[in-house]
Amino acid sequence: MKAYVSSVGFTAVADHWGKSLLDIAYEASTAALKGSPRVKPQQVFVGNMFSAAGAGQEQLGALVADAVGLAGVPAVKVESACASGAAAFNLAYSLVKGGVIDSALVVGVEKMRDVEPDDITRVLTLAESSEYTQFVGASFAALNGMLARHYMEQLDVTRDELSSLPVLDHANAVSAEHAQFRKAITPEAVARSGMVADPLRLFDCSPVGDGAAAAVIVNDKAAGTTKGGLVEVLGGRIATSEFSMYGRDDMLRFRATEDSFREAMQQAGLAQSKLDFLEIHDSFSVMGALSLEAMGLSKRGQGGMDAKQGKFDLNSELSVNTFGGLKARGNPIGATGVYQIAEAYLQLTGRAGANQVKGAEFGATQSVGGIDTTSAVHVFGRAA
Amino acid sequence: MGIQHWRIRDRYYRLMGNRCEKCGAEFFPPVYRCKKCGSEKLVDADMPRTGKILTYTQLHEPLPGFEDQSPMFIALVELENGTRVVGQVVDSPDDSVRTGAKAKAVFRRVQVDGDSGQILYGYKFVIAS
Repeated sequence: MKAYVSSVGFTAVADHWGKSLLDIAYEASTAALKGSPRVKPQQVFVGNMFSAAGAGQEQLGALVADAVGLAGVPAVKVESACASGAAAFNLAYSLVKGGVIDSALVVGVEKMRDVEPDDITRVLTLAESSEYTQFVGASFAALNGMLARHYMEQLDVTRDELSSLPVLDHANAVSAEHAQFRKAITPEAVARSGMVADPLRLFDCSPVGDGAAAAVIVNDKAAGTTKGGLVEVLGGRIATSEFSMYGRDDMLRFRATEDSFREAMQQAGLAQSKLDFLEIHDSFSVMGALSLEAMGLSKRGQGGMDAKQGKFDLNSELSVNTFGGLKARGNPIGATGVYQIAEAYLQLTGRAGANQVKGAEFGATQSVGGIDTTSAVHVFGRAA
Repeated sequence: MGIQHWRIRDRYYRLMGNRCEKCGAEFFPPVYRCKKCGSEKLVDADMPRTGKILTYTQLHEPLPGFEDQSPMFIALVELENGTRVVGQVVDSPDDSVRTGAKAKAVFRRVQVDGDSGQILYGYKFVIAS
């Protein structure tokens, strides 16, 4: 059985002060459902990390299903920190591909702005050990700061090289209508931005914002009823690693991403060189560099240097973060993985506008929870 | 945090991790199964209190409850038995906090649980000369 994305929908990533979590989840879901008018999803999967902390709401599966007129179908929320949306998609994909169900609606949603501004750091750190990381005052940014220093010191990576990833993201976001920050930045601007967790500065870090993205996924049985615009899901895999970064012998090796990428590409039967584009999880610049290296797209310590030399620019050898990635499109946590998948869909159906990767046939998305604690990779191809 | 802290106070007060009875590997935080040999036979063991900084950061956006200490140094310390602990570095000149520096665990107040709550104690690190 083959599995396809038959339509997608999303809101812009922004500060949606006037809208609730359900408002934006509904908006994205409805847009996706309208693109597949004859599909009635048999199950709903909602990717979300902290709706309880922000919106004071749980049981999002049933909440969203009811709102979109699907009350009655099985509906669940899936949580894997920043990889929640991709994890939700992966479960839907597995069931649809295996023929357990024929269609599903996947929605990723996060309302970061509903969390009090002075509490968002704590909420984001919920993904790390409560007892041994949060308790001592180490935030998620602090862990990334320590990782970045380790990376730079051990592998002789420069400030400028690390900056080239946010610079790339911002360059691609300029023409991306749904991106949160549509403004180009320079390496100098990154190096001048405020210090967050030394050596990481504000422009190394993905922003706070709200967003929802949705996809309808179908197998051969339901695909016949769609209007076209199918993108095949060629492979998809979640992998996990030792929970805390500091429990790993080599902290600069992202094993979950290595495993999920390798296995998803094997399922797809695709050589890495066939990929035309890749959406990576660069919640912090150092995460982006280590992700590229884990997937074998850059040599160890070379992720930033390769970006600096233009290897990942739009329509270069391999286009990376074609709509701005986590830094500039934005990173509404539980929604991010589904934004990446929606972007892959736009690329492979030729609807990416100014951000189109010319002749794109194959692309992949990588979404990470924690510091490569959970990694979900999906591989997509233009449907024959 | 009060009840969670109380439950594992010895971990915080004494840097008590555990040791595999079969292969002797030591762990902090403690593990349920030995990461080296897979054995479930583990006993509590206090960790050495000295080690060296593997990496560190100076954090400018503190977690709630740590605002009065911002910016604060947080380090990943590799203890003499090879286990790794994340903790705050205090009472040390800024320029002494660097990769490779020797660090020593000290007993300190870590958090206050709310406005009128319990004071939660635990480990922090100082740079050892």
